Order: sequence, then structure tokens, then C-alpha cells
Amino acid sequence: MSGGRRFGFVGSVRALAWRERSVMRHDPAFLGVVVAQPVMMLMLLGFALSNEPANVPWAVVDRSQTALSRQLVRDVSATGYFLPPRALEGTAEGRELLARGDLLALLVIPEDFARAALRGDSEVQVLLDGADPLSAARIGGIVSSVAAQFDTTRRALPAREAPRSFEIRGRFWFNPTLEDRDFFLAALAGMLLTNLCLSVTALGLVGERESGTYEQTLSLPTRPLEIVLGKLLPYVGVSYGVLAIAVLGAGLVFGIWPRGSWLALLALTLPFVLASLAIGVLVSALARSSAQAVFISVFFILPSMILSGVLLPYRLMPDGVREVGAILPLRWYQIGLRRIVSRGGGFEEVWLPMLALTAQFAVLLLLVRWRMKPRLG
Amino acid sequence: MSLRRLRTLLQREVRATLRDPFTVAVLIAVPLAALLSFSFVLSTEVVRLRLGVLDGSASSASRRLVAELAAGGAFEPRAFATRDALEQALVGGDVSAGLVIPPDFERALQGRSPGGDAPQLQVLYDGAESVLAGNAEAFLRGIATASGAQLVRGGAPAGGVRATVRALFNPDLDGTPFMVAGTFGFVLSFLTTLITAVAVVNERLGGTFDQLQLTPASNLEILLGKLLPLGAMFAFDVVLMMGVAGLLLGVWPRGSALFFVWVSAFYVLTSLSMGLFFSATSATAAEAVQKTVLASVPLVQLSGFAFPIRNMPQPVQWVAELIPATHYIRVSRAIYLRGAGPLDLWFELLLLLGFGALLVGVSLRALSRRA
Repeated sequence: MSGGRRFGFVGSVRALAWRERSVMRHDPAFLGVVVAQPVMMLMLLGFALSNEPANVPWAVVDRSQTALSRQLVRDVSATGYFLPPRALEGTAEGRELLARGDLLALLVIPEDFARAALRGDSEVQVLLDGADPLSAARIGGIVSSVAAQFDTTRRALPAREAPRSFEIRGRFWFNPTLEDRDFFLAALAGMLLTNLCLSVTALGLVGERESGTYEQTLSLPTRPLEIVLGKLLPYVGVSYGVLAIAVLGAGLVFGIWPRGSWLALLALTLPFVLASLAIGVLVSALARSSAQAVFISVFFILPSMILSGVLLPYRLMPDGVREVGAILPLRWYQIGLRRIVSRGGGFEEVWLPMLALTAQFAVLLLLVRWRMKPRLG
Repeated sequence: MSLRRLRTLLQREVRATLRDPFTVAVLIAVPLAALLSFSFVLSTEVVRLRLGVLDGSASSASRRLVAELAAGGAFEPRAFATRDALEQALVGGDVSAGLVIPPDFERALQGRSPGGDAPQLQVLYDGAESVLAGNAEAFLRGIATASGAQLVRGGAPAGGVRATVRALFNPDLDGTPFMVAGTFGFVLSFLTTLITAVAVVNERLGGTFDQLQLTPASNLEILLGKLLPLGAMFAFDVVLMMGVAGLLLGVWPRGSALFFVWVSAFYVLTSLSMGLFFSATSATAAEAVQKTVLASVPLVQLSGFAFPIRNMPQPVQWVAELIPATHYIRVSRAIYLRGAGPLDLWFELLLLLGFGALLVGVSLRALSRRA
């Protein structure tokens, strides 16, 4: 330590952390981000968003007009995904409605449906609106499976004993009714912490450079690394607060509590928060003004949300894109979160994501040290 | 209103914007980055899904079934010796589904009498990844039903109905065109609003806005001088994105490209007004940005960009209909994917027109009160 320094490393970091804490407490916009955003996201992800088809508008061209064909339509309706079907005269009209987006699916039952069913060789046609591929794929699957299980000899045999080659008993683990809500909310903490750590740190640091308080701090007998750590420590505290809001909110409102080890959850969060904060610091070092800082961080946050797998399963992404997503800390954090929160895992299951996050933090720290040379003016 | 004054203001604005390399970079890089990252992520396919197999039967029938599941490249089977090991792998997320074949699988398959108990396969899906599990379930059911009929030689009469499924407009159910068409809505709503809000607030803070008001130019002229160049740049962005989507991703609009550019240019006006409104009601650039970012959350989540509005509860659907981006994205997808024309879309276009008029009016009032 140089002669002019009265405080050691820990002392300096503590003093700066205390200063940062008082700054935060007096910033209403910051409090808004910390409190309002979790509530909004919780409500949106819990109540509003779903990939599960619902209220599907569809139509039927029933050329067979038999009890059997009407039964098939009733069976499809009974799955609960569909609105009441519209009966159409011809496929031309149906195609037109599909083209206008008024229908998502059109079921065409041929004239000889009932007769073919007696021979055990019946077929129906399903036309889907491929413009909405995810819904179309699901609906195609639903209608096909209803049709495959449709017992054409209904009156003779109860549905269960329909002759089939073999039976598949599927069970969805961790999420028996396969609700998207569970998928989204398991990763809620990851989304909130990404927003918090990146935008708030980046904006805070640049704002200080703009108003000149950063120069003041530099004139203190502290080293750049101490300044950075002193600024980041309070955010780690706030991050754990946000983690608590996310976990308690999902638990109290939707009954989705972490099934695995709470200790592992707390431990997993630390390297993720540190890595995200380090990205925020880097952004602030790259940006010249707060507006630029916001642009850079917002356009880092958005791909994070899309490519990491918090909203869409990352395993379905094409090669290359999937690997690019692995650079993002949020990818590894959400993998770990799902293992702990949804599947009830512990340290044994999340050591790999933890290792990846720690490595990312280490690399980012080196970058920060390299970029954050004390700059005056 | 004087055209000469307006032209001077336009020149000033164009020069000011082009002098700032950061804004120019944002205007070009962000739309392209959004286009490329969003367009790949939506997939309905089941590829290389890790399937844990616990083959209690270890017979030729069970091996044939597993080989068939692996054949299409959809599943990557991995053998497990015990039930515990399979369950452990599911918890760790190492496999996405587990297939349990009972010891008496082959015997039950061959020896059964019609109407007797069918042999049962148990499949455990990792429900933590709900989309993945849903896709896998539909796929596995389909493939197993097909190979099941082959496994039972002689073929017991199949009780079900074959459904020939065909998707119009997009036979492979490729997610790319869907996301490309939506990305226009995302970029034109979010980026436009953000850039406008920041530009106008900075000008107000820098005092140059006040200086302009001292010149003979009227408020309306100042505003148009600000908005027209920005609008032109975003219109350029639309064309740029269309070109990149077409040349790089092979996604061209099925409908009229010119019609799409016109609709988009008009929609840019709506977003610009929104940016004006945020800037007029904010004291600092940071505040304007925060408002824009906060408004972007419902924009991404509720506009139908990523999640179908149809699937939302009714009250949320009403909220979604109040977001202009919802209607623009609907129109953009209709033109891009289904080749819709003005006549098919007159109602949505009318709504967009209404939103545009409303927002321009509101933002003008807010700004003139401010000035």
C-alpha cells in the first residue's frame, strides 16, 4: 500500500459500498425498477402468456354428414383447445378464411368417411394456417392424435378397448399438466436480475461520469478495482432482494416453490449476479453518454432473453445460434434454475452451470480491469 | 407553414444525425441483429432430443422400436440400466424424455388376442421445458403409432382415423417467416420510439430546441423538421431489413412489397409520435428512456410478437388490442406470410390509422404545452 492510504483494501471497498447504498436509497427510478418490474413480469408470465393453444378458431367441411363424422367433430371440440366450429359448405370458402387469418384449422371429412371406417381405412384432411407455425404444429398434433384414437366402431366397443398395436402411457414430470407458466416462472429470477444488473449498473456508472462524481471518487486514494467492487457490492445485496421477490412471488401467488436445494439456489445466483454486473460495468466503460449506455444494455438484454432459453427452449435452436447463446450468463443461470426450481436438483446437478458462470465472471473481470483505466476528463 | 423554412430545418436535422456515428450504427446494426437473432429461435421441430431408454425387454421388437425412433434424427437414444439412473438423468436435465419398455413387451405384442390388453410403453417427459415436452410428446406418439402397426405383423385392424395434416402458406412449419414478419413490428415500435424520445429530450436539454423556437419557424415546422428525417431513416431500415431477410434468410413478402413499405412507413409515424410523447412528458433523457423501456415490456410480451394473443385470458386480450404494435404485427404477418392485400386488411389498417391520428394529436399537444 502506498503511504498516503489510511484504509486498507477492505476499508476502501466498504466505504464506497456505503456511499453507493445511500445513493440508491434516494433514487425513486431505481426503486421503481426493483419493485415495479418484478410485479409486472410476475403477472405477465403467470397469467397472460402461454404457448398452449386456446380459443382456436376452426371450421369443418363435413361431406359425410353421418353420426360418426359428427362424433369426430365433437371429440375434437372436447379437447378444450377450440372455439365452437364453423360449418362450411366447401373447402374453397375455408381456404379463403384461412388466408384472411380468420381460421387456424380446417377439418375436411370426405363423403365416404363412414363407409371407409367400416373397412378400417378412414381418412380426414386437416388444413392449417402455417403462418403461425408454433400453433399450427400443436393443433396438427392434437387433431391427429384425436383422430388416431377415434374409435370408428364406437358403438360396439368402449373407447378404452379400441384395438391398437400398443399403448403409450406418457407422463410429464415436474409439470404434470404441462403448463407454460411453470416454464416461465422457473426462470423469472434470471430475467429480472439481467435487467437489474445490466441497465442499472451501466446507467449508474455513466451517470456518475457525466455528473463528475466519478472523477471525485478517482481523486480519492482508492484504486480502480476497489471503486468497481465498492460500487458492485450493494447491487449484489439488491439482487438477492430481487431473487427473494421472484421466488416468493411465484410461490405465494402461483404456488411454484423451488423443489430443490435453497442453498444451491443462493450459491448459483452469486456468480451469475457478479457476471451480469461486470457486463454492466463494461457497457458503462464503452458508452459515452447515458443514452448510449441504455442503447447498448437494452440491446444486450433483448437477445439475452431470446437466445438464453428463458422464454423459448434453447435446445430447439439451430446449431450455431445455440452455441452463441452459451456466451450469455443467462443461459447457464436458467439451466441451473430449472434444475433446482423445477426438477428438484441440488449442488450435484448445478456444478457445471456454476463453473461456467464463474469462468464467465473471471473473463469479464479481466476485461473490466483492462478497460477501466482511470480516465479523467 | 413555409416549405423553405421546413427545408432548412430538414437539412439541419439530417446533418446533425449523420454526424453522430453512434446513432447511425444503431440504426443499421440493431435492425439487422434483431432480424438475425429472432428469426432462428422459433422452432416446431424435434431434433436430436436426448431420449433415455430403459429397455426391460431387450428383445428384437424393442430394439427395432428404438432404432426407428432414432432413425429420423429426432431422438438420440441413450441406454440406461436402471430406473434410478434414468430418473436421475431427468432431474439433471441430461435427457429430455425417458422411454420405459416393459419386460414382457415382445410377448405381449405378439401373443395378444384382438381386444386384449395392449402392451404398454411408459414415457416420462421433462415437463420443466414445457414447449419441448409438448413437441416431443406429439412427435413420439405419431412415430410410435406408425411403427407399432409395422411391429404387429399381419396388422390388427387399426381403430383410428388417419389424419392428413397440411399447413398452408408454410408447409414445413418453418418458424423463420413468422419471426421475420414480427421483427419488423418489434424494431419499428421499440427502436423508433427510443431514438425519437432520446433525440428530442437531448435537444430540449441542450437548449437547441429553445433556440429553434426563437427562429421564425412555427412549432409544427420544427416538429416536422425533426420527424421527417427520422421517418425517412426508418423507412430505409424497413427496406434494408426486407432485403436482408430476403437475400440471407430467403423470406420475401408473399404479398405486395410496395404495400408493405407503405403500411410500415405509416406505422413509423405512429411510433415516432409515441417517442415524442415520452420525450414531452420526461424531464431527463434517462427518464424518457426508462418510460420507453417500461412500455416495451408489454410490447414484446402482449403484442403477439412472441406469444399468440389468442392464448391469453380475455381481459389481457383486450389490453393487447389497445397496443398499436399488435395491429401492425398482425398486418405485417398477413402481408408477409399469407399474401394479404389492402382489401383483406381494411379493418386493421383503419385501426392503425386511428391509432396514428390519436398519437400524433396527443404528442403534439403535450409538446406544445411543454414549449
